[in-house]
Amino acid sequence: MDSSNLTTLSEEETSGSEDQQQQQPVSAFASVPIRPPTQSSLQKYAPLDWSAYFDREDDIRIKDTENVFHVYMAGTEGPVVFCLHGGGYSGLSFALAASIIKEKARVVAMDMRGHGKSSAENELDLSIETMCDDVVAVVKEMYGDSPPAIVLVGHSMGGSVAVHVAAKKSLPSLAGLIVVDVVEIEWSIKGGSLRNVDSARVSIPATLKYDDSKKCYTHRARLVETEQYWRGWYEGLSEKYLSCTAPKLLLLAGTDRLDRALTIGQMQGKFQMVVVRHTGHAIQEDVPEEFATLVLNFISRNRIGPHGVEMSNLAQEINTMNNDIYQDSAGHSSLKFESDVGKSNDDNLLHDEQPFP
Amino acid sequence: MGVNSLPCNDLDEQIAQLMECKPLSEQQVRALCEKAKEILMEESNVQPVESPVTICGDIHGQFHDLAELFRIGGKCPDTNYLFMGDYVDRGYYSVETVTLLVALKVRYSQRITILRGNHESRQITQVYGFYDECLRKYGNANVWKIFTDLFDYFPLTALVESEIFCLHGGLSPSIETLDNVRNFDRVQEVPHEGPMCDLLWSDPDDRCGWGISPRGAGYTFGQDISEQFNHTNNLKLIARAHQLVMDGFNWAHEQKVVTIFSAPNYCYRCGNMASILEVDDCRSHTFIQFEPAPRRGEPDVTRRTPDYFL
Repeated sequence: MDSSNLTTLSEEETSGSEDQQQQQPVSAFASVPIRPPTQSSLQKYAPLDWSAYFDREDDIRIKDTENVFHVYMAGTEGPVVFCLHGGGYSGLSFALAASIIKEKARVVAMDMRGHGKSSAENELDLSIETMCDDVVAVVKEMYGDSPPAIVLVGHSMGGSVAVHVAAKKSLPSLAGLIVVDVVEIEWSIKGGSLRNVDSARVSIPATLKYDDSKKCYTHRARLVETEQYWRGWYEGLSEKYLSCTAPKLLLLAGTDRLDRALTIGQMQGKFQMVVVRHTGHAIQEDVPEEFATLVLNFISRNRIGPHGVEMSNLAQEINTMNNDIYQDSAGHSSLKFESDVGKSNDDNLLHDEQPFP
Repeated sequence: MGVNSLPCNDLDEQIAQLMECKPLSEQQVRALCEKAKEILMEESNVQPVESPVTICGDIHGQFHDLAELFRIGGKCPDTNYLFMGDYVDRGYYSVETVTLLVALKVRYSQRITILRGNHESRQITQVYGFYDECLRKYGNANVWKIFTDLFDYFPLTALVESEIFCLHGGLSPSIETLDNVRNFDRVQEVPHEGPMCDLLWSDPDDRCGWGISPRGAGYTFGQDISEQFNHTNNLKLIARAHQLVMDGFNWAHEQKVVTIFSAPNYCYRCGNMASILEVDDCRSHTFIQFEPAPRRGEPDVTRRTPDYFL
């Protein structure tokens, strides 16, 4: 299971050239020489270091326990975008996106229990309660009693943790909740779902470790042994998500597959949903620029500053708009459509961005 | 009734075909939309409508439920209709649904008003189904292109008897008067922000004042905003769609705003009722609720006793 992931990636070129060879006798293109790859796969898929994307890393020791959580950090200003990766991934899953988000916000990506460089007393306890406690403990250890505004971002299993943390109101400074493609468990552990090579180069190594006894690489996270907890990750998740009062963004890959509760919630305008196309399950890895833009637009649109939601901005903007209207009724030119209504940073909306209908 | 000078026979045949949920050819769609464009471009951003009229909310490609709506509310042109947008996406028959409504508009232009919803947009339809459905049913995107180009001409709002303001979404902080709406150029793709976006995206809210919409576009507006707007513009009521409401209709803001949703069991899974609002000659109004179109047997309809708001 482990090695099949790796071979899928590296065999693309070889299988292509095999096809050509097989077709040679009949193909009209038989005279076209087989083009050698411009890069060897060793170069093309060589591991990249985290430091190209994050500014620093740290080990957060949780008081009165043996638990140590590894975090990657980037950026110096704005709210904290706190990222929780999916099952079998690591904090480096957010590396490429972090390198963009950090221009306008702080990014923290932690390795969850049993993943990456984190270590815990019980590596196999991936129950939703334990993972939620881990996140709350790490935030408390990092920021003490006066945490900055936090936008919680969770992918897949991490999305479930993010929703539970938010629903329990465990983080008093929570200012936003972004859930990325939470789908059935098979998706997240099957692997082979990454499409962005650069992201794979930085994020994949942390998900593997060398097993001396088997003389091969195995997955760092022993997910199969945690099956007893999977149900808890996803049970009643839609209702919990809808119960969160913070502004919410749901990012989905490809098409929307919402259950009844989410369909109703979405159709009542309870949250923003964006369907990101041309991407696999790990949106933040496959299209990191688009992902980063969506996160930053969400922060900007909801006026999330370093200390929380800045509603005074909204009142000010509305005042500005109303002044425009007064001018209008006083006989000046009529309202312009693309007029600057004061929403900053929204002019770089991506083509695919869909506020939820 | 005799309100058009178009070759009605062909059109009547096409309408009959569409009523059987059979799509028109690409050529027929092209010709139909050319005529529709001529009609729609003459309409106002605040299209005046007379009573009696039946006001309807989201349909979302649920063709059989639209057919049910006509069975319950009366055939067009026997009944006058005002649809408040979101004809396409999500349901399986967006093509047949929007083609039928546009054909009825061309055939009986004074009897039916079709407003624009936030789904009548190039961008949204590429994600939520209409684009894919066109590709599937026609083998290319031409019909999608023809329709989305036509959507730019759909009026944004309507005004029934000068007192019911009808639109898909809701109010905008950039719009204080109906003249504000009348003044802008609507012929364009629905923008990401600004007054035209707000009209198609905003929602009423229990909280006062303006709020950031959780949807990611438009605003939320409180009862104080609705009261002010209705007072300024001498309105009795704002009728809008856009939000699923389990009973098919939902009063808000002490009867200053009503939400009407006409897609029963939305997305074939939500279990909600649908409704339409009949406004009669005396401007009294009646909600008619209905459930998903039964495949056989009698329709299941409950008729509410009239409410009066004069």
